[in-house]
Amino acid sequence: MSTLTEPSMPQPVRRATELRFLTAVRTVFALEMKQRLRGKGWYWMLGTWFVVIAFIFVLATGLLGTTDNEGGILFDLIVGFVLFFGLLVSPGLSANAVNGDRAGGTLAILQVTLLTPGQLLMGKWLASWVGSLAFLIVSSPFIFWALALGGVSAQEALVSLLMLALELAVVCALGVGISALANRPLFSIVSTYMLVALLAIGTLIVFGLSTMLVMERHIMTVSSYSYPEGSFDSMGVPEEGAELECLTHTYESEVPRTEYITWILAANPFVVVADAVPYSTEGLPDESASASPQAAYLTDGPYYTPGVMETISQGVRSAQAGPDFEQTCEESQQALRPLPQGMPIWPLGLGIQVALAAGLLLLARRKLTMPARRLAQGTRIA
Amino acid sequence: MRTEPAGGVVGLLPPERITVAYPLTMTNEFGGIVVEGVARSFGSVQAIRDIDFEAPPGEVTALIGPNGSGKTTLMLIMASLLAPDLGTVRVAGFDPATQPAEVRSRVGWMPDTLGVWDSLTAREVLRTLGALYGLSPADCSRRADELLLTVRLTEFGRQPARVLSRGQQQRLSLARALIHDPQVLLLDEPASGLDPGSRVELRTLLRSLAAQGKTVVVSSHVLSELDEIADRAVFVNRGQSVKTQTLDEAGSQARRYYVQAQPMSALAEALRSYGVRFETRGDSRREEFLVQLGSTAEASWLLRTLVMSDVVVTAFAPAGGALEETYMSLDTDRL
Repeated sequence: MSTLTEPSMPQPVRRATELRFLTAVRTVFALEMKQRLRGKGWYWMLGTWFVVIAFIFVLATGLLGTTDNEGGILFDLIVGFVLFFGLLVSPGLSANAVNGDRAGGTLAILQVTLLTPGQLLMGKWLASWVGSLAFLIVSSPFIFWALALGGVSAQEALVSLLMLALELAVVCALGVGISALANRPLFSIVSTYMLVALLAIGTLIVFGLSTMLVMERHIMTVSSYSYPEGSFDSMGVPEEGAELECLTHTYESEVPRTEYITWILAANPFVVVADAVPYSTEGLPDESASASPQAAYLTDGPYYTPGVMETISQGVRSAQAGPDFEQTCEESQQALRPLPQGMPIWPLGLGIQVALAAGLLLLARRKLTMPARRLAQGTRIA
Repeated sequence: MRTEPAGGVVGLLPPERITVAYPLTMTNEFGGIVVEGVARSFGSVQAIRDIDFEAPPGEVTALIGPNGSGKTTLMLIMASLLAPDLGTVRVAGFDPATQPAEVRSRVGWMPDTLGVWDSLTAREVLRTLGALYGLSPADCSRRADELLLTVRLTEFGRQPARVLSRGQQQRLSLARALIHDPQVLLLDEPASGLDPGSRVELRTLLRSLAAQGKTVVVSSHVLSELDEIADRAVFVNRGQSVKTQTLDEAGSQARRYYVQAQPMSALAEALRSYGVRFETRGDSRREEFLVQLGSTAEASWLLRTLVMSDVVVTAFAPAGGALEETYMSLDTDRL
């Protein structure tokens, strides 16, 4: 063999030492999406999702047929359900993003290119987010159906869907971050589920237990309308023409000062979505309708019937308001009226979630930065 | 059997590198690999204790050692995936620990594990990797097609990688390492899983890459293979570099030959009469004698002498490759 072999070509490739951020993220995103779109698993999950949500929807439609605010309740139900299922699906789509590649031997091949850990994580996160959003899109027929029934303002619908998408993004970020930190896919998926459960259920449990800590003895003054004693006949029915009167009684009781601990609920994904949505209160009996004591009993106009998410929103608002030490007779008439929003709590919750996700992603970025100085026991780079 | 010394390669280096006419095995900050006193441990396991390693541009350097001797760890350090605890490393003139981007843009690394994106086609894999090395989309496509042709996978270019056999995936992995036309190639066990035809092609490819002035490092267990590819070999054992030798040196060292004749008794008699010590080879089916000879000149003298004295010699050949000879002569632990 001769030494003087022709060089096959002049140096054809201009040597870059860094990638444009968008190009790099797009390449990783495309790599992930191609694999997802060509696999069967994702389609099966989408199909199952569609069937389940259709089942729930049809069931709910049948049950709610006679209720006011049917569109609103159905829409609320779909949002709550998509959020619930999204919290179940997103960890599955995101939490093996990095260590799955490590197990498959492809991570090191990416790490030895000019791709930076930040670009890698960004691309993986976007891909799993888009994968999760597909579940939202598959639910869209039911969302539109519920919207078509009326009773939901455009603002309410838009904010609901936007917050849903945001929550999925947060969960995907948690999953991708954990997948880079944990060595095995199984471990990272379970960890992500635990973290999501901590947010969705753990906050509720901690809130419930914490009420014990904020118990206070307080003098309660409760007033309510009632018929005067002696105006009832032998059957216990008030006599004709009897007037309702405002009766007040006072007692001492232990009450939880929930306003001190409502912040615990802030990071709950359901609370974040519910609290952010501006539920419309139009068409409800207004203050004047209940001005006279009798009116409250007699009104047969639209009642206030909140859906699932709106109930959560109301629950948080009443927890924020804390116990009412002095209930007047007027207030007792308004038990079924929506509470107005005081201090919105969702920015705090979303802030906590984003900080958590960002922290995990930063740790992940550090872990993926090569050359590695420390390796976890039992891991191989390639 | 041996190919050329690497001297003529200097003229083929890219223009900016021909400032000095290098001696044969010169490595400097413009090319090649210099590793000095590198150590690396994983927890309590000392994977590399003290390795010196040099791979000049324009040559194929073999990295040889038993399993667990630190070959792959050294490869990872040179590929900028692992930081050494001690020692200095220069790859194409840059330190992988502090200038990883510079190193990565110049190094092609083929791992010993097959990482495969199952659902991607061979062409997509190459194009994606090209993009991640900063190649323009046009360059990606062109390089991908060229390399598919080089590793004879053109017909599989549009098929998902999972249909490829192990050997084909190995070839795809090689193409992937070459996508950005690196100056330095680090190949970890590139020949494993390849059929004989592909091995010959790999050999030709690596020789031509070296002839273009690239630095090629190959680790392998198939020593006879390396005999034909490598210009020099670095032997490592238990995390230490034990010996560095060029193939010329390896070829001229004392080595064993096996001899067969018809009948063997005549051969034994002739050998005894010339005072050549021999032993009966124990690890072979046929009966044959092993003789230790100091040089190729001595070997040709013995063969000529035997033939002249009417011994019917039916076989006369080196007992193993030159590198195998060195490998066995080193005090290595074979696990």
